[in-house]
Amino acid sequence: MMETLRDPRKTFGEALVAAAEKNPAIVALSADSSSGSGLTPFQKRFPERHIEFGIMEQGIIGFAAGLATTGKIPFVAAIAPFVTARPFEMFRNDLGYMRQNVKVVGRSAGLTYSDLGATHQSLDDIAIIRTIPGVTVINPGDPVDIVKAVQAAAEHVGPVYIKIGSPPMPVLMDDAYPFRIGKGVIMQDGNDVTLIGTGTVLSKAAAAAKLLKTKGINARLINLHTIKPLDTELILTAARETGKIVTVEEGYVTGGMGSCVAEFLSAEHPVPIRMIGVNDRFVEPGPYEEVLALCGLQGAQIAETVERFLECKHPLQY
Amino acid sequence: MELINAAEKKELERVAVRIRRNVLRMLKPGRSGHIGGALSCVDILTALYFKVMRVDPQNPGWRERDRFVLSAGHKCLALYGTLAERGFFDHRILDTYGDHCTKLGGHPDMHKIPGIETNTGALGHGLSIAGGMAMGLKMDGIGSRVYVIMGDGELAEGSNWEAAAAASHHRLDNLLVFVDRNGLQICGPTVAVMGYEPLDKRWEAFGWRVRVINGHDMDQILAHATNIPFERGKPSLVIANTIKSKGVSFAEGKVEYHYWKATEDGLAIAERDLQAAEERIG
Repeated sequence: MMETLRDPRKTFGEALVAAAEKNPAIVALSADSSSGSGLTPFQKRFPERHIEFGIMEQGIIGFAAGLATTGKIPFVAAIAPFVTARPFEMFRNDLGYMRQNVKVVGRSAGLTYSDLGATHQSLDDIAIIRTIPGVTVINPGDPVDIVKAVQAAAEHVGPVYIKIGSPPMPVLMDDAYPFRIGKGVIMQDGNDVTLIGTGTVLSKAAAAAKLLKTKGINARLINLHTIKPLDTELILTAARETGKIVTVEEGYVTGGMGSCVAEFLSAEHPVPIRMIGVNDRFVEPGPYEEVLALCGLQGAQIAETVERFLECKHPLQY
Repeated sequence: MELINAAEKKELERVAVRIRRNVLRMLKPGRSGHIGGALSCVDILTALYFKVMRVDPQNPGWRERDRFVLSAGHKCLALYGTLAERGFFDHRILDTYGDHCTKLGGHPDMHKIPGIETNTGALGHGLSIAGGMAMGLKMDGIGSRVYVIMGDGELAEGSNWEAAAAASHHRLDNLLVFVDRNGLQICGPTVAVMGYEPLDKRWEAFGWRVRVINGHDMDQILAHATNIPFERGKPSLVIANTIKSKGVSFAEGKVEYHYWKATEDGLAIAERDLQAAEERIG
């Protein structure tokens, strides 16, 4: 079967228009970033609800918080590092501490801007934003997830961070599946090992699971679209039933999704965990797929890592 | 035009003394607080909460209320003292300042005390938030206004100038900012620490309409606070020249009292100063 690819930013923009048709409180804030975030249709459909700030990535978060105090539901969309790392204190204080109903969408996230270098890559966004109490962190794994995440974020009362990429994404999920914030999804059952994927590289984890199956390894594949709150029930069951866990994400392993899983399991049910992601480095520029390969994030590489991991017998070898 | 008659003015001045007394009441001996910047903005807060702003202490979330944002959140002793005096909460809560789990932290928390609109403390946040409030109110056709007090030292934060540009670009003429120019910050005179003069020209260049007043003169404060926008389509700003620690003789104009660990003797002198002020008002 041919895989269907969809543009994540266009998908996001269309989903926001749909949400805004239903809820007049939704407004879109642009830091000279609307067109690049797929929000041109929103701007055309709701010009009076589209607010431009120019390249003002600290101020825009404060304005969003202020708008939210009056009952608006602001969606702020821009290149991920510029709405997470740059205005981190505004995110923490004005959205988190003030508990304001603002949705921040970091797009072209992860290694998407592989050729533009480290300034434009967002590998730490999950790690830093998840430290903020009360902020929901969603990392949609495919275009279906993006649509459902936007809808769920619009309905959820409280600050939300949604991370999306830019390259076309394969459709992996069924349109009809029930998306719930904080609830991961088992995409494939298996008891030899659990593969937890999130965001833009969920498709790579899925490819790895498929490859492993041809080698007789039955991996349980989980789409962990919400990183905070963490689906502890699903993860605990997976740890108990499969005994080993591999996490796959397009971001730093330091503090990322794999860390969340490890933080939880180390207290509740310690099992060997292998975290695949970007290690402690600024990633050299290059074509996206090649850069993913440099970080060991291609399907075949993930499968190989899993195989090696399963061969280890002694804890020190993990 | 006289905005208030002599009797009303005296009453406002008496309220300001009571608010200063509330500030000192929170600082029991051994307790610390940002007394200098709190006392310099008390007269502005008095005018706003007792004459200018439409607020209802019985209904603090009233949608059509005017909003107040204390961008310089460390001046919160003044805001606490004002809200208590205006009836937002019981004066006895003032005595909990500095206690474990008090509702009155060293910086304000909107979820703990009615009447507080924002959680400020980190500097350079308030103006953006206030701008968002002003924008949201305008979008909904609500005629409420948003009032802000900023510190002058705070103006070195670049985020303020982002907000200044956006408020002007979006024509937020329902926004009035007071810069509490007491001229002192932790490391010395503000102009020496990070110069910003000519301050009025700087704001005007960002598209604001600016007035300069004596921030302790009730007539001057009211004349401007009740007369906004200064120009239709533009945000308004008042540079209020003030005295740090205003009203407490030994601390006035002294940078050492930016943050003060209260002493029994100091509090006694301060109370005598306030009594003398009341006698002068008559």
